[in-house]
Amino acid sequence: MSNGILDIDTASRLKGFYFRTRSSVRGQKSGIHKSLYRGISPDFMEYKEYNKGDELKQVDWRLYGRHDRLYVKKYEDEVNLSWCILLDKSASMDYGDEGSNKLSFSKKLSATLAYLLLRQGDSVGLSCYSGLDSEIIPPRSGNSSIMPIVDKLENITPEGETALRKPLLEALEIYKSSATFVLVSDFLMEPQELRESLQLLRASKKDVTLFHVLHPDETEFGFEGSVEFLDMESDAKVIVDTASIRHTYIKRVREFIDELKNMCHEFECRYVFTRSDASVEEPLIEIADK
Amino acid sequence: MNFSFLSPIFLIGLIAVSLPVIAHLISRKSGFQKRFPAVRFLLASQGEMATRSRLKDLILLLLRALIIVIIALLFAKPAIFSFSRADSSEPRTLAVVIDNSFSMGYGDNFNNAKEEAVRLIDSAPDGSFFTALPLVPERGEAISVIQDRASAKKDLKQIPLSQTFTDNERRLEQVYSALEKAPNQDKEVVLVTDFQKNGWKSEEFTRTWLRLIDISDAESPWNRAVTDVESRYTKESIKVKVKASNFSASEASELLTEAKLSGEEIKAYIDIAPGDFTTEEFIFPRAQKNEGPEASGSASIPEDELRIDDTRRFVLSRSGALNVLIVDGDPREDSRLSESYYLASAAETASELLRSRIRIKDNESFLDEDLSAYDLIFLTNVGEITPGKAAELEEYIERGGTTVIFSGDRVRAASYNALLKNILPGELGAPTQKDSTLISVKTDMFSEELFEKIGQTTVNRSFTLIPAQGAETVLKLSDETPFLSYFGYGEGNVFLFTSTADTSWGNFAITPVFAPVIKEFLDFESLSNTKRRNYVVGDKVRIDRSPSASSITVKDPSGENLKIEPEQAVFEDTELTGIYKVLIDGDRAYEFSVNLDPLESNLEKLDVLSIESEPGSELGLVKVFKELWRYFLWGVIALFISESVARALFS
Repeated sequence: MSNGILDIDTASRLKGFYFRTRSSVRGQKSGIHKSLYRGISPDFMEYKEYNKGDELKQVDWRLYGRHDRLYVKKYEDEVNLSWCILLDKSASMDYGDEGSNKLSFSKKLSATLAYLLLRQGDSVGLSCYSGLDSEIIPPRSGNSSIMPIVDKLENITPEGETALRKPLLEALEIYKSSATFVLVSDFLMEPQELRESLQLLRASKKDVTLFHVLHPDETEFGFEGSVEFLDMESDAKVIVDTASIRHTYIKRVREFIDELKNMCHEFECRYVFTRSDASVEEPLIEIADK
Repeated sequence: MNFSFLSPIFLIGLIAVSLPVIAHLISRKSGFQKRFPAVRFLLASQGEMATRSRLKDLILLLLRALIIVIIALLFAKPAIFSFSRADSSEPRTLAVVIDNSFSMGYGDNFNNAKEEAVRLIDSAPDGSFFTALPLVPERGEAISVIQDRASAKKDLKQIPLSQTFTDNERRLEQVYSALEKAPNQDKEVVLVTDFQKNGWKSEEFTRTWLRLIDISDAESPWNRAVTDVESRYTKESIKVKVKASNFSASEASELLTEAKLSGEEIKAYIDIAPGDFTTEEFIFPRAQKNEGPEASGSASIPEDELRIDDTRRFVLSRSGALNVLIVDGDPREDSRLSESYYLASAAETASELLRSRIRIKDNESFLDEDLSAYDLIFLTNVGEITPGKAAELEEYIERGGTTVIFSGDRVRAASYNALLKNILPGELGAPTQKDSTLISVKTDMFSEELFEKIGQTTVNRSFTLIPAQGAETVLKLSDETPFLSYFGYGEGNVFLFTSTADTSWGNFAITPVFAPVIKEFLDFESLSNTKRRNYVVGDKVRIDRSPSASSITVKDPSGENLKIEPEQAVFEDTELTGIYKVLIDGDRAYEFSVNLDPLESNLEKLDVLSIESEPGSELGLVKVFKELWRYFLWGVIALFISESVARALFS
């Protein structure tokens, strides 16, 4: 297992942390998440009048004897959860030197999160996407499932634009039941497309967590002199006097971050901003429960 | 009130205005490239910034360009001037400089200038000091100031009209420098001049200490002059080419032009367009038998307002018989096997026509021979040349001698290349075997008949030659290598054959071509043996003399005898126009002529300094300058501060 992709030290330090969904889930196995399925958990919740389609085995026959009406028992159960990590592998993610490269950081974050999720019994799948293609590993549980994820992460080639809609639809085909979608990206895309994607996820009753990864150069714009900037995903280029444009640029980036935050608030998604030169521990702690 | 620049040359600095503009454009177009993910934010930001940034850039650009403009103007010494009569009542030191260049001989200009100068001296306040000087200085001049007006005026009246001109600006600076230690704080140089263009380097030479007074009495002075005379011997005649120029706005039609030579006179009528010249050739038949070694004459046009340049004199000189030296580097017991045999035979045949005296020397004798006694020297297969002899040969050629070098097995290329590198037509390489025929390159040197026979010459061996810059190939071989090359050095000529003058390396010496080619050299030397005998005022004249000459005297046109050092043999006192006679050891040797420099004949006035269109151009009114450079200096400082503040605010 590569230390480069999987941050074992961070994973060890986060041993006591659990990653929970924010809403109840439909699960098949016993886990730590509240289940929407009632009937097989020892924690009784309520009775419900029988309706066509309810399983007969869940009918409380004793109650039927007393009231002559069919009731089914409803239980609150803790079930495991499926996680879908969507990692942006567009060209813009390949920015930064070793130690601050956005894609390297995102891969490490994704691998470590997958490892921790598998360890708590959840099943984890991965989709590495860009505007050109997306590669999906369906959700699997068990500690050994980390291997294909790590392998996939190690072999990512950054290319194409940031385009979320198509890979998201493909993932939703696989994750029909309850799942939490974790989006790791710089989200340098049209805000409208992101809005529509989040809308789609929430309509599919999926929990969503966004890890917004930006390089310090993108947030602080520490360049000097006159520089010709070439866009990493298009042919766009611009010559700027960095000193004169810095203030306006930073303001623009902050507005962009605020817009993402507002969007997440609107759609009840978790938003975690992180710099690519930080430790993966910090963003993971933000979504973890003790 | 008029605006002017005292040092307008510095206005060239205005070109530097392009520097900030170029820098601005470069900064917009370049910079190092960087791949960046968030270009969308930059584009969005730039849209917002663009207008503001462009405005800031333009302000900075404007400030920087202005700084350069003001600095250039500052160095150009801006000044405003007005015309006023010098009526300061403060005593001063006044240097009155009379323009005595020969253009001032036009009409009454020179007398008017002196009268104006007298008025200046008379009108100066009491307590003033004076010096009266010619613009063209006299030899050994000492500048001193005196308080006695009468003496100053006497000095003034003694200033002669010069027959030349000078560097006016340098001269005026020199005069002003000489006033440095003179009494009175207020020092002034007044130039009374005709504003003729010649002598001024810049169109606008102005100094705060200088007053310029225009005394020319003609708005557009016109002049016609004989500006050049060329004379040369041909076989049957002496041709005199006279160049007459018309420095006026009207055509000179049917201008009577005369050429005189040895008592004979030829006249012609010529037309000259305005501002143009006409060259007329006068042909005097040669009286071969009674002809002396030199002839002198003159060319003239009718006298006009400036008489001094209407006549030009010339001297044409040739030696009576050619003195030819043949140096045989490889003499044989049987003289018919020697190179000198073929050469002497050819030269003697030719000398029947050209009157030459031929001497043959071997290599050793050549080293002791005085080369200056010869007009033409043949070096055939000469192996030994000492550095001293090489230097003498170089000097001989530089002074106008002609040397023809034939190669051979005794010629050592390295030695020739080292010792004779200045005079050889190229660098000699190694001799190579070949089977080539001869091709003429410079056909004008040979007659058509001779040209046809050149192909009969075969060459089995020759030196390779890398031609020097300025050298010409006269004859070449069929393998394209040079056979005969020519190089002009100083006033003389060098011909180099890459093969021999005998039959050892080819059949050249026994072909029908050989004798005519040798005759061409004698002919060439005979015709071109017209020593330089014509100079312009101010030239240094190198006197032809034998090394044994113990005294040289030059008698100038005024009749004064001037002795010069025989070792130097250079005469510098060519200030008068006319015929000079050279006496060597008391005997009359030859004559030479000194004429005016035709530049001064053009009376065109300076455009900028001409004050005819200015108000107050009456005689005696002067330009009074007020320099403005201080204001420009403050302007530059203010702009520098503004630029710094703007830069700090915008960054």
